[in-house]
Amino acid sequence: MSAVTSLDTPVPRKKTVSERKRRARQVLLQDNLARALIVFLGFVLWQVGVNQKFIDPFLMGEPRGIALEAWRMIETGQLLTDVVATVQATITGFLGGSILGSLCGLALWYARRLARILDPFFIALNSLPKIALAPMIIIWFGSGIFSKIALAFIATFVVSLLTAYQGSHQIDANLVNMMRSLGATKRQIFAKLVIPATMPWIISAFRLNIGFALIAEVGGEFIASEVGLGHLIFVNGNLFNLNAVWVGVLALMIVAACLYLFVTRIEKRLFAWAKH
Amino acid sequence: MQAAVAIPVAPAASVVGKTAISLKRLKKTFEDDEGNVVEVIRDITLDIHDGEFISIVGPSGCGKTTMFNIIANLLEPTSGEIVLRKARPRGKKGSPIGYMLQRDLLFPWRTILDNVTLGLELAGVPKAERYDKGRAYLSRYGLGDFANAYPHSLSGGMRQRAALIRTLITDPDIILLDEPFSALDYQTRLVLEDEIVSILREFGKTVVLITHDIGEAIAMSDRIAVMTQRPTMVKTVYDVGLSREYGSCLKARTDARYQALFDAIWADLDIQLGGK
Ligand SMILES: Nc1ncnc2c1ncn2[C@@H]1O[C@H](COP(=O)(O)OP(=O)(O)OP(=O)(O)O)[C@@H](O)[C@H]1O
Ligand SMILES: [Mg+2]
Repeated sequence: MSAVTSLDTPVPRKKTVSERKRRARQVLLQDNLARALIVFLGFVLWQVGVNQKFIDPFLMGEPRGIALEAWRMIETGQLLTDVVATVQATITGFLGGSILGSLCGLALWYARRLARILDPFFIALNSLPKIALAPMIIIWFGSGIFSKIALAFIATFVVSLLTAYQGSHQIDANLVNMMRSLGATKRQIFAKLVIPATMPWIISAFRLNIGFALIAEVGGEFIASEVGLGHLIFVNGNLFNLNAVWVGVLALMIVAACLYLFVTRIEKRLFAWAKH
Repeated sequence: MQAAVAIPVAPAASVVGKTAISLKRLKKTFEDDEGNVVEVIRDITLDIHDGEFISIVGPSGCGKTTMFNIIANLLEPTSGEIVLRKARPRGKKGSPIGYMLQRDLLFPWRTILDNVTLGLELAGVPKAERYDKGRAYLSRYGLGDFANAYPHSLSGGMRQRAALIRTLITDPDIILLDEPFSALDYQTRLVLEDEIVSILREFGKTVVLITHDIGEAIAMSDRIAVMTQRPTMVKTVYDVGLSREYGSCLKARTDARYQALFDAIWADLDIQLGGK
């Protein structure tokens, strides 16, 4: 027999939350320092390799040249313009595609028959590399920002739609039964069960979509554009200016990481109930 | 497969006159993945009387939960009919049947208070009113301190109690309990048995309880229906009424008839466990 428990045994509280938080922050700081050190060492080794003539800066670029190039682009304001152009198109397409896609996917929970009929189309669209649509999109929307938004939109819309649709169809039938036994209408089941239960799926699609949106957007810029980080990388690549290419690549990495952090932050806030 | 037992189903003398639910020749078959027809319920004919506490005891997998799903109108029977007493007082909202499913099925994204008041929320009860009611129920069942906690921080037994409150709070006339105490430790179980029986009896509820615990069935019930192995039928119905006589489940366990009933039911089940 288990230990004696009374009806109101309270669960012991976790001790001093603030102390644990402080400790966690300290560990994070140390980890980040280690990470910075790794990057720094990498650049130093690279530079040393170039100086010792192990590495050909014409083919690989070199840290000093990259820094100079970056500084030049910051001074002229070109880097900022490119970053803004890319971020704007990516975020607009990403938000539009992810939100609309999620809504459509959820709505398909209502229309089971329609969902079943459309299913193969979604699968086909999902497996299609969206960049294959770029030439057409550029013909329709021009080489400006609209074609990039459209590309990011399509890339993320399909992913969000499929994920929300699959998530909403994997809800435990017993949960639906429980709601029905309490007299819930279909609409109530949708609002109070389907949407919250699918939320984790939707957010995970958001996280994936940051990458997809960037791929589509930059791919679009490679094909036809006047500004943007993809434009910067593509043009300088053709000119064999590897240092400038690196500036574009590093800027893209930073943009992607910032977007990712942003979504993770939202996720944490939304799912406080799942954490301790 | 054919069960060779042929003890006639004796319609036991009712504790209270009228019939709350009448099950007539219920039959349920499922189709498995290969399209084979699986007979789960062969023939259940049973009158559940108004205001009685009846337990269903039967081997695991014999179809007890399926029977509940049919009574709760979540499943259609293959044949047979269910007659529900109509006399639901006017102006009373919600379903006349409260069903506590075998698993607790609490929503992880809702606090315990929001979980237990779900039925009231679906019926459109204003927030302040349903929270008051919810808090009252929670403290009566020893969960007062956990109103704002999330399900993941509760023990299995606490979660089961919360699920029980969610069923009772809408004040249904007929209550179906599918192994409501299975996750509770022995002491809590005894206390809760007593409490449930006295509360439900006080309010004149009709209760159908599925349990694997023969002792629990005897201690709580007015009648016990023993089911056969799948495809299931009602094998024997016992008149008990010990808890009603003593006004306590604990005292009921001390009566001499308790052991006799236990042996009889055990023998009923044993035949089926032994040979097919
Ligand atoms: N939707 C379904 N499709 C096919 N078979 C099913 C379905 N639901 C239940 N069954 C089968 O019906 C049988 C009875 O299931 P049920 O859950 O009613 O048993 P039970 O008596 O409640 O068992 P336990 O005591 O273990 O809870 C099982 O063998 C199960 O596999
Ligand atoms: Mg069951």
